[in-house]
Amino acid sequence: MSSVADNAPNPPAAKAAVSDIMTALMPLLFQLRKLAWLLFTVTTLLFFLMRQAGDPALVLAGNDATPEQLAAIRAQYGLDQPLLVQYFRYMLNVLQLNFGKSLASAEPAMLKVLDMLPRTLHLAGMAILLTASIAIPLGSWLGFKPENPERRAISGLLFVMQGVPGFVTALILIQIFAVNLRLLPSLGYEPLDARTWVLPVCSLASFLVPSLTRVVAANVAEAMREDYIRTARANGASQTTLLWSHAVPNALLGAAALIGTQFAFLLGGSAIIETIFSWPGMGWLLLESVQTLDFPVVQALAFMIAIMVFTVNACTDLVFRYLDPRLRTKGS
Amino acid sequence: MESPASRVSAAAVSTFDRYSKAHTRMTTAPASHNVLRIDNLALHFISQGDVVEALKGISLDISAGEVVGVVGESGSGKSVTALNILRLLPRSKIKIPHGTVSVLDRDVLTMNENELRKIRGGEVSMIFQEPMTALNPVLRVREQMFDVIMRHQKITPDEAAKLSLQLLSDMKIQDPERVFMAYPHELSGGMRQRVMIAMAFSCQPKLILADEPTTALDVTVQAQILNLLKERATATRTAVMLITHDLAVVAQLCNRVYVMYKGKIVEHGKTRDVIGKPQHAYTKALLNALPEGKQPKSRLETVAAVMIESATGEKPAGVKTLTPLKDSGRSAPQAKFVRFGRGQPIFEAVNATVRYPKKYDFFGRPVSYQTAVDHVNLSLFEGETLSIVGESGCGKTSFANTVVGLASLAEGQLKYKGKDLKDHDEITRREIQIVFQDPQSSLDPRWPIWRIMTEPLTVGKKPSKKQLRDTAEELCEMVGLDPHAIDRLPHEFSGGQRQRIAIGRALSVHPRLLLLDEPTSALDVSVQAQILNLLLDLQDKFDLSYLFISHNVAVVRHISDRVAVMHMGKIVESGAADQVLSRPAHAYTRTLMDAVPTLERAFAAA
Repeated sequence: MSSVADNAPNPPAAKAAVSDIMTALMPLLFQLRKLAWLLFTVTTLLFFLMRQAGDPALVLAGNDATPEQLAAIRAQYGLDQPLLVQYFRYMLNVLQLNFGKSLASAEPAMLKVLDMLPRTLHLAGMAILLTASIAIPLGSWLGFKPENPERRAISGLLFVMQGVPGFVTALILIQIFAVNLRLLPSLGYEPLDARTWVLPVCSLASFLVPSLTRVVAANVAEAMREDYIRTARANGASQTTLLWSHAVPNALLGAAALIGTQFAFLLGGSAIIETIFSWPGMGWLLLESVQTLDFPVVQALAFMIAIMVFTVNACTDLVFRYLDPRLRTKGS
Repeated sequence: MESPASRVSAAAVSTFDRYSKAHTRMTTAPASHNVLRIDNLALHFISQGDVVEALKGISLDISAGEVVGVVGESGSGKSVTALNILRLLPRSKIKIPHGTVSVLDRDVLTMNENELRKIRGGEVSMIFQEPMTALNPVLRVREQMFDVIMRHQKITPDEAAKLSLQLLSDMKIQDPERVFMAYPHELSGGMRQRVMIAMAFSCQPKLILADEPTTALDVTVQAQILNLLKERATATRTAVMLITHDLAVVAQLCNRVYVMYKGKIVEHGKTRDVIGKPQHAYTKALLNALPEGKQPKSRLETVAAVMIESATGEKPAGVKTLTPLKDSGRSAPQAKFVRFGRGQPIFEAVNATVRYPKKYDFFGRPVSYQTAVDHVNLSLFEGETLSIVGESGCGKTSFANTVVGLASLAEGQLKYKGKDLKDHDEITRREIQIVFQDPQSSLDPRWPIWRIMTEPLTVGKKPSKKQLRDTAEELCEMVGLDPHAIDRLPHEFSGGQRQRIAIGRALSVHPRLLLLDEPTSALDVSVQAQILNLLLDLQDKFDLSYLFISHNVAVVRHISDRVAVMHMGKIVESGAADQVLSRPAHAYTRTLMDAVPTLERAFAAA
């Protein structure tokens, strides 16, 4: 087999130092290569899909444009060129992060997206923090003694809640806290006014808490059956030690993956909640620009969401490495 | 002025004083003082209305400083006995109709959780079988040792660290600092078991319960661990209850032994007496089931047969399917004592080399390799058994995988009937079949056994369901299973029966060469005897060639014509079984042979 020939001879010392640096950078390079592929695929797909969705010239010119006006617009935006030429021109622009100007406001599309980015991060970050801080203790408590009747009742309730979409909770919360009690505003976003955050964050968390709690509970229950728990018990560990020092750290390994997925979902998919609460984030912008066929903004948004989801996943990997000593590379 | 450092070391010294004083005190304790006393204890498991009598009135006692063995096969109740001493069984699922368990003259059955926690890990500690799973994977050894030490002793973390390092070096660990800071996955199985033992000794227990502490380890490691356990127990005058199925281990280590069978203690006494002059039928049967010291290739007595016979006075009906083959000439050992190859080898390995990629470059191509099998040359003749012996990691399973095509060779050639294995068609390749080590995981749990056993027949063909079921019935007869049971699922069978199913599956396509990868190492001694008998019968009947892979020297000696010893991917010695195993030429073979605990040697030393 050819693999024998590949078996590299020992490199000289000078080369070894270079290869050491390469080894250290390798994981980063791998990640960047993956990101590049992802972005290439996303932008390409979007370009062709959007062309299927409608003629941009019609959108630009409006419904009552004359054929002459349409032709002029086509020429102005290069839409009369062959599709492949347009594609390469578009990709060249994407390389410079230039997605064109928003059709609605004539601002650069990317700038518009970047404006929204911190607000979405704010909402998603708080929602995930709230979710984790409820689900991890609750799940640990449930998983510690799953057969216990009251814990079984709560597990059943969570199972039902898992099926309730966030927007339903949002509407109920608005009815109670904004309409009936008049305690909290039902819409709007003030970066420094915590009262405007409460309802959107709670609505998002209400959807995420049940699934995360159930995963944590299942993992804790599984960890409690492991041999090392028996060892700890045989060594006189108390119930508290068994749960928090032995079972939960192992259970969180599995939960970390779900937290990562949930966060990625929030970054791209909290459109409905953002719209209900008029929270001017990326989800809200996405809905707006799809409705008005604002191609450049949609494309810039997709590009941004891809980068963020990727980053979250890469960070989840890193967190995994931190949590699970078995994944840490040897020698570090 | 006293520096903090010197204060710490002074404190640490005083900890050691206490540590050693505790042991001096123990030595002066009267010999009749019972550390553990179990009196007429019965224990039932209750699940959904069903009651299983796990212990049926057992009595057992252990005095200070004594090493006592508890022997029996799985399900005999020996682990339950140990777990119950520390009350580690789920309370909602057990009932104790009568009996007492007292540790240091205190009744543990009436204690509450708080009192029990002081005993667990303090006065009584436990060593478990599986070192791979018994330590928490996300905590360093340091945290896990601290956990025990700080719970039972009023000392500072610095003192605890010193004590831990001392305990680890007592376990003959060369670099205690590294092990102390390591995570379990960074340590080998033997090293983890040393850590477990160090933890067990950390709070000067009066009694250590060791539940099959070396069963999961290689023989050479087992020898080291057993010696360490014995040495530390003697040095600290700690009593040890050693639970095992291995009579040779008991003979080597224990002063006294209890033999358990179906929840009862059937015999107990001085080890020498019990093993030398067994009184109870079960003890005799257990000793007879060992291949050790028996005529190679002779039929081994099986425990089940003997026990039914002794209870009813008649030959058991359950093993009838095996008896027709009994008079096949093997009872006269000179007839076919050792078969040597006839004519051309049926199977050959020429410079067989297996490498696994170790590091990858930027493009995911492997840049360096680990050699698992290193230029192995072997030949197997028709109708003979060739065994490959070696410790885990020596490459024997990697080699087996290439023979059945589960892995590919980096170099060299495998020949079947003189032709490269790669050039054979599918039908010929079927003549080589494999039986895996663990019948628990090598059978699909959702398939009835007729489907499992006949699955190889459906590769590339579509026999009718009727044909398959008929074949399955024949196969069941062949391997000694009830042909009416073909619709059952694997979990309805015992471990030994499952291994019979796996053997039946291999036989379904009329193989010529059977690859047996540790086929008995997951089984009890008495079941092992049954499977070995079956394999010998089948070889006789169908003139099969066996490539037998094992680390169990006694089993290999019993079943093999020729033996090859594998060490770090290389064959270091090969030849006739009797010659290699009785007069080993290579240093590694000698190490391996010396590490195997045998009854003979244990008594010679005593």
